Amino acid sequence: MKDAVRRLNDEYGFNLTDKEIDIVAQQAEEAALLFQPLFETDIAGIAPLTKIDKKSIKAVAAKGAK
Amino acid sequence: MNGFEIEGLTISAIEPLIKKKQVSPVDLTKAYLERIEKLNPRLNAYLAMVQGEALAAAKKAEREIAKGKYRGPLHGIPFSIKDNIATKGVTTTAGSKILADWVPDYDATVVEKLRSAGAIILGKTNMHEWAKGSNSINPFYGTPLNPWDTTRIPGGSSSGSAVAVAAGLCMGSIGTDSAGSVRNPASLCGTVGLKPTFGRISSFGGVAGTGGYTVNHFGIFTRRVKDCAFVLNQTAGYDPRDPLSSDEPVSNYTKTLGTSVRGMKIGVIKGYFDQCIVSEVRQAFEEALKTFTALGMKIQEVVIPHIDLVPAAQAGSTRPEANSDHDCYLRTRPRDYSPGLLYSLIAGLLTPAPVYVTAQRVRRLICEEFDEAFKSVQVIVAPTIFSPAPTIDECNRGYIEADGKKINLADRAGNFLTRYTIPFNVTGLPDMSICCGFSSSGLPIGMQVVAAPFREDIVFQVADAYESNTEWHTRNPPLQ
Repeated sequence: MKDAVRRLNDEYGFNLTDKEIDIVAQQAEEAALLFQPLFETDIAGIAPLTKIDKKSIKAVAAKGAK
Repeated sequence: MNGFEIEGLTISAIEPLIKKKQVSPVDLTKAYLERIEKLNPRLNAYLAMVQGEALAAAKKAEREIAKGKYRGPLHGIPFSIKDNIATKGVTTTAGSKILADWVPDYDATVVEKLRSAGAIILGKTNMHEWAKGSNSINPFYGTPLNPWDTTRIPGGSSSGSAVAVAAGLCMGSIGTDSAGSVRNPASLCGTVGLKPTFGRISSFGGVAGTGGYTVNHFGIFTRRVKDCAFVLNQTAGYDPRDPLSSDEPVSNYTKTLGTSVRGMKIGVIKGYFDQCIVSEVRQAFEEALKTFTALGMKIQEVVIPHIDLVPAAQAGSTRPEANSDHDCYLRTRPRDYSPGLLYSLIAGLLTPAPVYVTAQRVRRLICEEFDEAFKSVQVIVAPTIFSPAPTIDECNRGYIEADGKKINLADRAGNFLTRYTIPFNVTGLPDMSICCGFSSSGLPIGMQVVAAPFREDIVFQVADAYESNTEWHTRNPPLQ
């Protein structure tokens, strides 16, 4: 992860110190662990959430019924 | 004081007097401006005041009411606006150094709506830098202080709004909420804080980069549930300038106030909301459940099988969305962020795209589980935050000590101060925090009342029933 942070450091011009690179890399590693269970969940056939709108839900349901 | 005792004053108490011309909007505005002048140096709730504009608006309101042109319950009522919401001609900093000098040439839709309802905008309120945190320790503008104990944080990110309402420095305020930023400070400051359904209030005019697109909501602070209903009545509705706003019909949210809740079912989620909870918060919440039972409501456990994925789904949504807005500043002004926020934004750049899409799919799964739960209960209630307000020192060292143990304020799964509120950002469900008790050291404790999408009417009904049968909301912070 430190290499990835170094690449970003070069690309964006952050001028991060080695200590700062360590901090960011550690945060990114912890985030990767946090996200892992998302990929272990059975979401087959589930579309991404976009917008909450009861009318849309009803409209879609009505269309599907025809 | 122009004859007003402002402490504890509510919109619902004053609006009939304004309508009957027994209270002058000009005198009311002057009284609030005087109180702000006296208390804001201690509390740091406001970043900018617009005294001249406020008095001009109050004079206009007074003239209109004198001529019989009363616009409704917000006519002549003093408000504040969080500083990440655009106000025409007034600096809008988002609590950041980068936008320190930005003056929008337009009003956010919610500000336009308040102005057209006759509300008086007093100024802009302090907040966590870029709304990216909940302790509001702000290195650029100073930290707003909790009016119940000024050694403690007021929460955040809409901290100044909550402080202003709790301390009687305005009667209502508009904030934003991506992870709890309305409900969290409402809980720690003892006010009402409503995060309506996603899209219920237009987000047009919100500063980009201060809230993930799919989890951000504009919200309302007031001292009473009824006051909040007045404000939602005026601010809800579809806005063509915000494609994410909803065209669901807007109810009259005062209609359900005072109606019986007998026979209604309340859901309680075990597990997720029990983690690390401080005993005083647990006791206050359990007492609140007894009050609901005494009102004739039935408590039942509901299960949301994937609720433990909420922190990952929230972070997997907000980080990429935030980075989309911050990329330009990260390339040009990285050192104008506080170090902590800079590190977090850079780490966010390393979030793979599949995380974002998978997070949205998991969010739908969780939404469907809540939909299922709402087939058997009308509302779900939960504590708003696991603990009363921590001190600024505790936030700086990263943990509190309670019940004889050390409790960290964050872990890999994120910030504990927002852990209980993010399920309702991930799902977009309407959620109100109301005061349900006080700690032994006199700090407010909050409880969330959540309903199905666009059922704010039920949230108001249940929250009002609780408020009407308890006295927590009558207490005022010790500010004399």
